[in-house]
Amino acid sequence: MHELSLAQAIWRQVAAEMNKREAGTQLVGVNLVVGALSGTDPESLEFAMRLVVEGSGWPDAEVRIRAEPAALRCRDCGRDYEAEGWDWACPACGRTDFEVLAGRDLRLESLEVQETNDATHSA
Amino acid sequence: MTRRIPLEKKVLSENDRLAAELALRFGEADVFVVNLMSSPGAGKTSLLEETAKRLGSRLSLAAVEGDLATDRDAERLRKAGLPARQINTGRGCHLNAAQVTEAVVAFDLAALDVLFIENVGNLVCPAAFYLGEHRRVVVSSTPEGDDKPVKYPVAFHSADCVVLNKMDLVEAAGFSLEAFRRFVRGVAPRAPILELSCRTGAGLETWLDWLTAEREAARTAAHTPE
Repeated sequence: MHELSLAQAIWRQVAAEMNKREAGTQLVGVNLVVGALSGTDPESLEFAMRLVVEGSGWPDAEVRIRAEPAALRCRDCGRDYEAEGWDWACPACGRTDFEVLAGRDLRLESLEVQETNDATHSA
Repeated sequence: MTRRIPLEKKVLSENDRLAAELALRFGEADVFVVNLMSSPGAGKTSLLEETAKRLGSRLSLAAVEGDLATDRDAERLRKAGLPARQINTGRGCHLNAAQVTEAVVAFDLAALDVLFIENVGNLVCPAAFYLGEHRRVVVSSTPEGDDKPVKYPVAFHSADCVVLNKMDLVEAAGFSLEAFRRFVRGVAPRAPILELSCRTGAGLETWLDWLTAEREAARTAAHTPE
């Protein structure tokens, strides 16, 4: 279990991004994507992220975690499907020979911020 | 009004960058690198001891050892004639590319034929960290039960080869080989399953054959222009 160190690594990227913004910009949301093959437990990561956010300058920022399923493509019949449990056989042809299209990543997808002067940006 | 800033940043991008640098260095030094993962006690260190005894006179081998706090495994390997560098991870549950980068300073990579990276005993976290290796091996053992791949599909999925150790205990452990093979096939259809016993030595030849064949395959791939 290394979700706390992952949360700290995520927070360093968030802080670097916020440093590029005008002073006074408020962080209101952090959106993360946790792939099913990323070796990361979404619930533990959410818990760790809350700890990190609560100790930050924006303790009320919301953490949203979207679980990304493991997307597979059958090498035999070409069918796209999601990996579930331990049997990743193709639901169409029954063969187990696939490539992984998505689900390996743990990503910082986006931030939601509130800027001090929205007028300058809405123009 | 709130504004959304799209980032799409990989959280482990720093590890991946360092691992890619390692892979480049390993390639230049022409050293074949194997990352070994298992739960605690499956027999990674025993497998390396037996490998050193049988292959040490033909190939130049070394190991990087991930362990929470002790030097015991590295000491065992040195006694078996395998130069080993310990990385104490403290509370860390996996090796990362930065730790491996630091550890390999101890070796003249160009003088080595095979470098083993023995990961921390854990089947969850190590799977997420690429270390620049050519091949990934998951070691399992019969007393752990035949359903390990069901419990840790991500680790088994990432394996290029699955070693099943302690075959001498298969009956005592009530282990179903048929079930284990089916479970591995479910997530890692292309990984060979090598059944062996480090204690009796049975089956070790297939492991040595796999290792030497994969080393040749990796070297051929490295020298074939795209």
